Amino acid sequence: MPGEIHHIRPGRDGSYPVDGSPRRLAAIVAADISGYSRLMAMDEEGTHARVKRHRRELIDPTIIEHHGRLVKSTGDGFLAMFDSPVEAVRCAIVIQQSMVGRNAALPREQWIQYRIGVNLGDVIVEPDDIYGDGVNIAARLEGIADPGDLFISGGVYEQIKHKLVCGYQSLGDRQVKNITDPVRVYRVLPDPAAVIKARPMPGLALAIILSVSLIAGAAAATATWYFFVWQPKHLAAERSPGQAPGTTTNLATAAAPQTAPASKPETQPSPAPAPPQSAAIPPAQPPQAPVISEPEMVTLPAGTFAMGSNEDPSEKPIHQVKIKSFAIGKYPVTVREWNQCVAAKKCTNKVTGNDDTPVTNVSWNDAQQFTEWLSGVTQKQYRLPTEAEWEYAARGGTQTKYWWGDQPSSGMANCKGCSEPYDATQPMKVGSYKPNPFGLYDMGGGVAQWVADCWHKTYQAAPTDGSSWLDSECSARVIRSGSWKNDLSYVRPSNRDNYDANVRYPTHGFRVARSP
Amino acid sequence: MVIARTALLFLVALLLPATAHAQGKPAHKDAYLYFVWPQDGTVIKGAFWCRFGLRNMGVTHAGDDFENAGHHHLLVDVNSPLDSNEPIPQDKNHLHFGAGQTETRIELPPGKHTLQLVLGDAKHYPFKPPVVSKKITITIK
Repeated sequence: MPGEIHHIRPGRDGSYPVDGSPRRLAAIVAADISGYSRLMAMDEEGTHARVKRHRRELIDPTIIEHHGRLVKSTGDGFLAMFDSPVEAVRCAIVIQQSMVGRNAALPREQWIQYRIGVNLGDVIVEPDDIYGDGVNIAARLEGIADPGDLFISGGVYEQIKHKLVCGYQSLGDRQVKNITDPVRVYRVLPDPAAVIKARPMPGLALAIILSVSLIAGAAAATATWYFFVWQPKHLAAERSPGQAPGTTTNLATAAAPQTAPASKPETQPSPAPAPPQSAAIPPAQPPQAPVISEPEMVTLPAGTFAMGSNEDPSEKPIHQVKIKSFAIGKYPVTVREWNQCVAAKKCTNKVTGNDDTPVTNVSWNDAQQFTEWLSGVTQKQYRLPTEAEWEYAARGGTQTKYWWGDQPSSGMANCKGCSEPYDATQPMKVGSYKPNPFGLYDMGGGVAQWVADCWHKTYQAAPTDGSSWLDSECSARVIRSGSWKNDLSYVRPSNRDNYDANVRYPTHGFRVARSP
Repeated sequence: MVIARTALLFLVALLLPATAHAQGKPAHKDAYLYFVWPQDGTVIKGAFWCRFGLRNMGVTHAGDDFENAGHHHLLVDVNSPLDSNEPIPQDKNHLHFGAGQTETRIELPPGKHTLQLVLGDAKHYPFKPPVVSKKITITIK
């Protein structure tokens, strides 16, 4: 029934399946206007007229052109479905780029910018609406996209990666509201060169975009996009202080320093000219430009270990967990590393402290901002360790009470009453104490460390594959390691505690992990 | 009145950026923190809901710097005196309710336990003077 999708008005034809389940696989496009209420408050009639004109001149025809169907439109957005993920993403790109062109002549505060999410999912089709997780995920993707951006799910990416010549920036797995499993998220960059971002030279080789079958104005729109949106802030970004090379690994050296790749176009450095005929850029491709102080990582072997202990009810029952090989920060994230994210305007929490001390007073949500920024800028999928990974790493292959044995010992950890030197007001510099057998520092004491998992009071029904244990909603997340303000009992690798994910506390920090 | 208060807050925020950081915020003179449940001497079987009461001040999210508002901390079996120049500790005996919760479900081992509430400001410091509840003793059967 390919005919049905050409209808722009829903419910008119009744050609959705009538025999049994009205389910079908579809590519769902969810879009909304960022700051709609602000625009309406500023100029209600004008905004309404402009939105209507965009709908009439751009959105409706573009959906039809790409064989899609407008399911419904809301005041500030719309929902459309497509048979083909390729067509869905093409349609979204055309809309985004045309909007750039339309905004270019206007002052910043009058811009109408859409955020768009595309997901592929099995949905229930009703005459006036569509339902199901597949729709919700598209809406959530849209919700986390920045104005002017297009986010797609991993499912869509798999379908289009070799078919649509675009840049795809992996943003890692995201937990989205009310969806149990994390969703892999990619940001679509219409010009592949935008991913590489080596030289501040607005694109000349925009021809590549024409392969996306754009309307004639799109190339110009893209050029204006680069010119007005990306370039000015790029200069500011080059001056940002957080880019001083740090003491830890430098990713690469390149002619032009660059800042976060991340999601807001306005903080985006200018893209390089597109390499001719460049194909879709896989997320694993090494970045060419960024010069940032990246956390030093230690790759741990796969293994099985006994997680938990009988010391505290929260640590029971002891259970075998199988861990895949992964990499984890050698130290907790430092103030220096954190401040790069603040300088790139991707971390909102301005912290204090010496450069080489662990970052403190960060919430779990703050830590997410950091891993997202770091993943974007390095093109690697950084995340928080899972609780099981953290304990595996902290034990360093041991099964004793502490990683060094069963007896208290001085000089091993930065905790209250444990050893000298000790400063009650702040944690010691990272790496001030002995590393554990895996070569990891401060796995116990120093700063308490967020991990990915939702808090569960015991290990009853805990996963045994090393994955993070998540619920659809959780306000409290797990913290590990104890801090310099806690006593030795908190240094035990099996010790666990929890805290509200969106609340900052002065002894809480984190370290990053990634799968190899 | 509201405008005057906002203006005053703004002024205070301008004048005291550094000191507000390190010290507790002033408490309302009639602030009263108490346990709605359980009460002193209650004997309880198993897990129970502990409910927090606060009068003349408000409960807010940790990090929100509103005048006359704070968030709850429940001290379980804590004997050391409260240091009002330090953030309220975070450990297994100092439970934080930074999301603005006003109750919690608790499970304690059988025996006598003490419970006490302390109100913390945006940065987890006790107010000046500290807003604390009476320390109650309960028995878990």
